[in-house]
Amino acid sequence: MELTRRKFVKTTAVALASAAAAGTMATMAGCAGEPAKGGAQAPAGQGDVTRTVGVCRFCGCGCGVIVEARDGRLVSVTGDPENGSNRGLNCVKGYYLASALYGDDRLTTPLVRDDKATKGAPGGLREATWDEALDLVASKLRETWKADKSRLAFWGSGQQPIVEGYCTAKFWKAGLLSNNIDPNARLCMASAVVGFMNVFQTDEPAGCYADIDEADVFVTWGANMAEAHPMLYSRLTARKLADDRVRHYDLTTLRTRTSASADKVLMFKPGADIAIANAIASYLVENNLYDKAFVADHLQFKQGTENIGNAFEDGYDASETGQSVDAVTSITFEEYAARLAPYTLEYAEEVSGVPAADIQELAEVFADKSRKVLSLWTMGVNQHNRGTWMNHCIYNIHLLTGRYARPGDGAFSLTGQPTACGTAREVGTFSHRLPADLLVAQEPHRRYTEAIWSLPEGYLDAIAKPGFHTVKMFRELSKGNIDFLWSAHNNWAVSLPNLTRFLGRGDKRGVIDAFICVSEVYPTLSTQYADVVLPAAMWVEREGQFGNGERRTAVFEKAVDPPGDARWDLWMLMEVAKRVLAGEQIGGKDAFDVLFGAWYDPEAGAFRGTDREVSRAIWEEYRTFSNPALNEAAAAINESAGLKMEAKQLAPYDLYIDNHGLTWPVREVDGEWLPTLWRFCDGPQADGFDEQGVERYGEHDRAGGVSFYKSAGKRPSVVFRPWEPPAEIPDDEYPFYLCTGRLLEHWHTGSMTRRIAELDRALPEALLDVNPADCERLGVKDGDRVRVTSRYGSCDITVSTTGRTAPPEGIVFAPFFAEETLINLVVQDVYCPLSKEPDYKKTTVSIEKI
Amino acid sequence: MARIGTIAAVGAATLLAAVAAWEGTRPPAALLRPPGAGEPARFDARCIKCGRCLEACPYQAIHVAPLAAGVAAGTPAVDARAQACRLCPDFPCIAACPTGALAPVEGRAAAAMGTARIDEGLCLSFKGMRCEVCYRACPLIDDAITIDYRPREGDAIHAVFAPVVHEGRCAGCGLCEQRCPVSDPRPAIEVVPTGFA
Repeated sequence: MELTRRKFVKTTAVALASAAAAGTMATMAGCAGEPAKGGAQAPAGQGDVTRTVGVCRFCGCGCGVIVEARDGRLVSVTGDPENGSNRGLNCVKGYYLASALYGDDRLTTPLVRDDKATKGAPGGLREATWDEALDLVASKLRETWKADKSRLAFWGSGQQPIVEGYCTAKFWKAGLLSNNIDPNARLCMASAVVGFMNVFQTDEPAGCYADIDEADVFVTWGANMAEAHPMLYSRLTARKLADDRVRHYDLTTLRTRTSASADKVLMFKPGADIAIANAIASYLVENNLYDKAFVADHLQFKQGTENIGNAFEDGYDASETGQSVDAVTSITFEEYAARLAPYTLEYAEEVSGVPAADIQELAEVFADKSRKVLSLWTMGVNQHNRGTWMNHCIYNIHLLTGRYARPGDGAFSLTGQPTACGTAREVGTFSHRLPADLLVAQEPHRRYTEAIWSLPEGYLDAIAKPGFHTVKMFRELSKGNIDFLWSAHNNWAVSLPNLTRFLGRGDKRGVIDAFICVSEVYPTLSTQYADVVLPAAMWVEREGQFGNGERRTAVFEKAVDPPGDARWDLWMLMEVAKRVLAGEQIGGKDAFDVLFGAWYDPEAGAFRGTDREVSRAIWEEYRTFSNPALNEAAAAINESAGLKMEAKQLAPYDLYIDNHGLTWPVREVDGEWLPTLWRFCDGPQADGFDEQGVERYGEHDRAGGVSFYKSAGKRPSVVFRPWEPPAEIPDDEYPFYLCTGRLLEHWHTGSMTRRIAELDRALPEALLDVNPADCERLGVKDGDRVRVTSRYGSCDITVSTTGRTAPPEGIVFAPFFAEETLINLVVQDVYCPLSKEPDYKKTTVSIEKI
Repeated sequence: MARIGTIAAVGAATLLAAVAAWEGTRPPAALLRPPGAGEPARFDARCIKCGRCLEACPYQAIHVAPLAAGVAAGTPAVDARAQACRLCPDFPCIAACPTGALAPVEGRAAAAMGTARIDEGLCLSFKGMRCEVCYRACPLIDDAITIDYRPREGDAIHAVFAPVVHEGRCAGCGLCEQRCPVSDPRPAIEVVPTGFA
């Protein structure tokens, strides 16, 4: 612990020194020896170099960057040496980030499609004025809204900056009284979210990146961190190099670059991870190797609905099984142990293919309390037909052994996108959420939200029922049941599963008939299906905020103006909201004014202030959710309903800029705002522990020095979840499992990174990694073109046997960044019944040479 | 398209060969040869500049050495930065060679075109960035190029993922050079052709 504290104090000192030195953007320029002209709000135009603080546009690591601009153009983006997480370094994507803004084909003018028959191909869009485009979008939205609210939808993103996501959720939920809003985070983090809610009743990781520096053993579950979280993997590797006793176990279905540097690889058959996790838990219980004090002080045990089938059919959610998937009942520890008993090491070996001795070795690692164990996981666990269950199973092991919420000893769900936490999860752009973890279905949550949004009491009762989750949204769209769709900060026509259906290449043509508005920075496959394309300001062309995987909120300052007529997404939203809500009232007052009047002047068509002032104003309203003392009515509801809203307390806006990001909850102590690194862990707030939270809501001196004060009865739930097979099992017709994922050089669908010449050169094509023995059977070799076919669709791709990922026989891997390959034509849209997150890892396919 | 291009290239090769016959008195340039070429003297003695290897290459990776190559003008060469050799498992270029100038090789690693060399001053990975594009692009990953994980001086929370090329195991295909994101003033990894080390 001493080490931890020293390190933290050092980090804090760096952050504070940096805050003092940085202060404002203008001083930053001074630091660089450049004249302090212009500033974040007014990029210089006379050849001066401005320096602004930012955070990388790409993955969930959230690396800090310093942005240099001259004459309205970025000249460099470099790692922020003051950022405690990346210390001036980046991966190759971040290194070339500046070029992402300057692809040849930036969208700079609104575009309108006159003939829906031209959808699905380049062309068919003509230039339009902003007024024409906005009038068209608003009139279609208003028309749909007035006719049938269930037929409109917004699809957002874990890349949408925080205040923009907040306003979008507010417009959709309070302005339109619609819950048909969901983010692409449904495709990556939903299983983690439902896991967090089920186990802890709070959606957040307890740990932070500094846990990596403290751990003695790393266990990666379904996570290719070496490629998908490059700088965090550098941190993990540094920890290994610092102490040769540190071990890394990699649990995976195929050998990856992460496996390449792991000390031991446990390669399991797809879907069998739950059997392995249960066998570990069973071994710990059976052999009395669990932490009895921790169990007694902190845990409760449950089991839930089982044999839940798979969501093949559109009607799954409404089916009897679908309706029962969330049900759980309490059981005793002994009953839990009895449920685990069948999961012997031998049974786990039979199901998973991993030798029993290896599973036992890992179980012994968890049993050894002299060492700290950190589990890390991503899409292999979340994009899983039992993704929520697998999240449970990892927590079960860590909770049984008292390894949770303690420095270096924890279970850490990594996020994939820059603000999947900050926006999608924290401000509530999900179909069932309100800001700050609140749920539409909970009456006190609606009352609380109404108080902060100045809505009449009961106003949000109209949205008590959750809307369409992502797959449901696009399934309904494909069937012609959605008339209006607006998407922003995503490229759904490449990233969704089952694109054969959703792009109208099968018998369902809804995507052609619906009115679709796409806010974008470049032409993408999604804009080929758009009726209107709104050209957006990109990254530092406006001010924005991201919340990364360790609860760290950070601001990226505006550095340059957007090109041509491209505009801030928030402006588009305000202009559409203004038109749609024209003449509408909330509680006898003008609806737009109630919702957005504080920062937007609808008459002038302009914000009331600079990007900074507007962001600050919105943030301060949002921050009220976690600072109820700022709103008397909200404070009363928080008290009477026991909401504990301060538990996720956020700080005033400017502190995030001054400190280059802060991890919440941020606590005010003697006028100073202190971040929290280790949630629920008792200890001095100044050292990064959750002193204030534990003091206010929890209990001191409990086992492990932690107190789970957000959990029901202060007891997280260990829920027994059985192993159930994947949705599809390979057979003679479809003998292979197809797994898809991300690779280091490209971000998601490549719409930005493929326009960076250096990254396009580095990885120009998507390849299908195939085991050489399978190649021999198929009569194909490295470099051959093949057709991959599933029950859903097919695509053509080039085979590789060179081994960047080296799948075992029976499994193939392809990345999803390449629009020309479009692997998602093949991928199933079956999802975890609890989280509704699709399983991108286990579609069964056939492969034939073409 | 490729076929027409190849015929044109072969035509050009013939012309160039004729030109080179009287023009070329300059010393031989460090040209990267197709797989199986081996030592320059051996290859030079056998290559008849027929262009069949160009025609056989499915990636159009083999081109004709230009006039500026002096005596080597008209011979087959690979410009790795533009289009590297992909080390086809069945080596169609070698199969097409009528004279044995491109001699059969045992496996991809034995193509022996050259050896990649990293300029550590230019390489992003040596600066602590997570790049290693050359390593992941290498058809002989974890063999010809491996990663040496090193502590980063003065930084306890980052490692240097240093790519290391292993002479004798590197085939010299140049895919690393083609993929390297660095270009100013030149790629951070380049192939030194066999016989020119």
